[in-house]
Amino acid sequence: MLSTFRRSFIPAAWLGWQIESNWTDPFLFLTFSIVKPVASVLILVFMYHAVSTAGTESPIYSYIYLGNAFYIYVGAVMAGASYSILDDRERYRSLKYIYIAPVNIPVYLFGRAVARFITGTIAVVITLTAGVLFFGVPLNPAGVDWLTFFTALLLGVVCLTCMGIVIGTWTMTIRTEPWFIGDAAAAALYLFSGAIFPITVLPVWLQPLGYVMPMTYWLELLRRAVLGEGAAAFPTLAAWSNAELFGVLTIITIAFAIIAFAAFRFFDRRAREEGMLDAQSNF
Amino acid sequence: MHKPMNALNTYKTPDRGWRLFIRTMLARAYPRIIGQQREKAWLFFETFLPFLATVGYIYVYRAMQAPEDYIGFVVMGGAMTAFWLNVMWLMASQLYWEKETGNLALYIMAPNSLMAILFGMALGGMLATCTRAAIITILGVWLFNIQFSVSSYAQLFLVFTLTMAALYGLGMLLSSLFLLWGREAWQISNALQEPIYFLSGFYFPVKSFGFPVAMVSSLLPLTLGMDAMRQLVFASGPTLGFLSVEYEIGILLALAVIFLIAAKYWLDFMEKLAIKEGTLTDRRR
Amino acid sequence: MPNSFAIQTESLSRIYKIRGAKKNEPKERVALSDVNLEVPRGEFFGLLGPNGAGKTTLIKILTTLLAPTSGRALVAGYDVARQTHEVRRRINMVSGGESSGYGLLTVRENLWMFGQFYGLDTKTAHARIDELLAVVGLSDRAHTKTSDLSTGLRQKMNIVRGFITDPEVVFLDEPTLGLDVGASRDVRHFVQQWMKDRPGRNILLTTHYMVEAEELCDRVAIINGGKVLACDSPANLKRRLQRDAIFKLEVSPLHNGALTAFGGLPGLRKFTHAPQDGKSELDLILESDEVLAGVITALTSHNATLLNLQKREPTLEDVFVDLVGMSMTEAEKAGA
Repeated sequence: MLSTFRRSFIPAAWLGWQIESNWTDPFLFLTFSIVKPVASVLILVFMYHAVSTAGTESPIYSYIYLGNAFYIYVGAVMAGASYSILDDRERYRSLKYIYIAPVNIPVYLFGRAVARFITGTIAVVITLTAGVLFFGVPLNPAGVDWLTFFTALLLGVVCLTCMGIVIGTWTMTIRTEPWFIGDAAAAALYLFSGAIFPITVLPVWLQPLGYVMPMTYWLELLRRAVLGEGAAAFPTLAAWSNAELFGVLTIITIAFAIIAFAAFRFFDRRAREEGMLDAQSNF
Repeated sequence: MHKPMNALNTYKTPDRGWRLFIRTMLARAYPRIIGQQREKAWLFFETFLPFLATVGYIYVYRAMQAPEDYIGFVVMGGAMTAFWLNVMWLMASQLYWEKETGNLALYIMAPNSLMAILFGMALGGMLATCTRAAIITILGVWLFNIQFSVSSYAQLFLVFTLTMAALYGLGMLLSSLFLLWGREAWQISNALQEPIYFLSGFYFPVKSFGFPVAMVSSLLPLTLGMDAMRQLVFASGPTLGFLSVEYEIGILLALAVIFLIAAKYWLDFMEKLAIKEGTLTDRRR
Repeated sequence: MPNSFAIQTESLSRIYKIRGAKKNEPKERVALSDVNLEVPRGEFFGLLGPNGAGKTTLIKILTTLLAPTSGRALVAGYDVARQTHEVRRRINMVSGGESSGYGLLTVRENLWMFGQFYGLDTKTAHARIDELLAVVGLSDRAHTKTSDLSTGLRQKMNIVRGFITDPEVVFLDEPTLGLDVGASRDVRHFVQQWMKDRPGRNILLTTHYMVEAEELCDRVAIINGGKVLACDSPANLKRRLQRDAIFKLEVSPLHNGALTAFGGLPGLRKFTHAPQDGKSELDLILESDEVLAGVITALTSHNATLLNLQKREPTLEDVFVDLVGMSMTEAEKAGA
């Protein structure tokens, strides 16, 4: 079992990094690594400044900025699984060969997610640095609770990878415009995760969806770790302790791991029944 | 016993010129239109999910207690992203996939125009694009009770038409990159998506940029297109507009003409360059 | 522009720059060097050579997909670099091992679509589709989505796509690659009939299958390393070797020392060696039958046992060996 894990994970992680990093020279790679996340956060920064008179001292500013920054991982890791499947199936036409190799496909997707996690981390660091240097985010590295931060980050990324496996294996069964699925799912979950606004802003009947989303608790933990006392200004989960947040996040992660396992078996069978492993969606 | 292939002997002269252009355009649109009828999963991924993403930005403004017109701005921006995505991903970068599947060589080798192929791709994707834009607009207006105050339907129609013309011209200019490059062009298109959303002011008035930056970003057709539409559609639009609607219509007209003409010459130039460099049939790079 | 030649090349060359070449590595690769060809109208012309010889590069230039580095090429009387549009109206191409069109469309829909790109009206397109599908035996699959077809059937559809526009010149780039024996035979039969029905039209076929070249082509150009080594009808090419004696020997496994000694034998013009399971196969081109005795003596002196001996007529492979000094397989390995 361990050898299957190693055989599935390590080449996948190596391959993922090759694909993510070698499409251009290092200077252009760095340029685009900066431009994309900074532009994404600038949209929210300008939206805020267009309507608010409170300035960057307002807690809601930090809330939006940090939520958007860490949400980069959702697009990178969760949507990334879908992209990995599509890259292999459509761009490189190698999915069928990987499938018939003695590897574990979910573990393979885990491995591919590593490279996305690395590129996502580059984007997150750049976004946070830009926030501190240019956009007035009150973030003090000396005040960060690093243990809570890394523990929450790791747990959240595992959860995102499980969600990514669900999306990725679902993607295998879709032939029409599958490239949009991962990003569309990540963008839709933006609404329910408390990333850029507290879920209490949502209509009452929609708020339960926010409480079911793992990202809600994950982002809350990350904000608390990074902002410390400042995070107390966000009322939504203020009554929950860190331990409770970790507990809920862990339970949801385990649930998604089970869902991912079941989803893989279901979509895998469907994809093979419908001959989708070497399909091409281009038209 | 062998029968001679008689059908090859009987035909009318194949179409040329603008007839061939139209025929090519419709033929290339056909696979898209038919594909969307045959597999309808896109209805969920390309309409409902993007609507939810738009709603996310609406609630950001609600959290900031923004004026209600800003909610309308977000709905308009969300609807217009459909057209940007059509241009970039259903038209321009499609050349990348055509190259990968070997169809690009067949298109280039045929006596038609690459512009016709690109128009066909865009036309074929219009069903999904318009559905997406319509769903976002209708649901957004209905659920969030957005109020309109349209000052001129004629100008609104003109602005929208010119914006689309300029946008598709720009898209064709960008598509030529895919003749020469492979994955680099794909990654660059992907990386430029958020900067385009930002600079075009999809969700906020571009007046916020200040004059110099707003002028530069006006080179993107959607910038002035949406700015003009906001001024024409929302009560607070004129106060938040960058330039007057008349000026913006003038600039959009110029952009449309320049981009469409430039696209024709640039596509021809890039095709010749790709033929010289031997990248038309490069795969998996 | 009337021209008695369907295809003409004058000193045609193509050099590729190698991206990312390291310091001591070559920065350029010569794909074609000084190719001069004249193919009269009505001829079925073949281009025979190993993988990497330059066949596909030549086809890409002639079909306006690649520009030559130097020299000139004319197709149907038009310059491929300067009169691209005129060339494209008169040609079509089918590549082996590739599918064209979109999997979501049916055979008929894909063919109709490609017909539109050449300006065919719908009625004519469907009439041709019906006829050509019947000829290749695909009529019953006209409404099948191409993603549901086997490789062989997809290639038949691809073949029909190449002919539906009734081109003056059709370029077939290894059209039977990856097809089974039956499908390959059907394709060859189809192209032969098309040439019979369309006098004055041309097919340029690239292949590394000798049998295909011999069966189909009026003339064959043998190409290797980007250069055309010989160009004539298959019969005339083989006649070059008629004076020679060609033998195929099977012997017990030979070591390298034996092969080296072998190479210096008087009267042995060329030979190729292919190790097999438990034996070695030798293809010999000798100046005369009398040389054979010396060959067998040499083999025996190196403790080799003769297992089988066969005299045969020269093939195009022998012509290739005579020109290049090695078999096509060896030439591919050397080129790689």
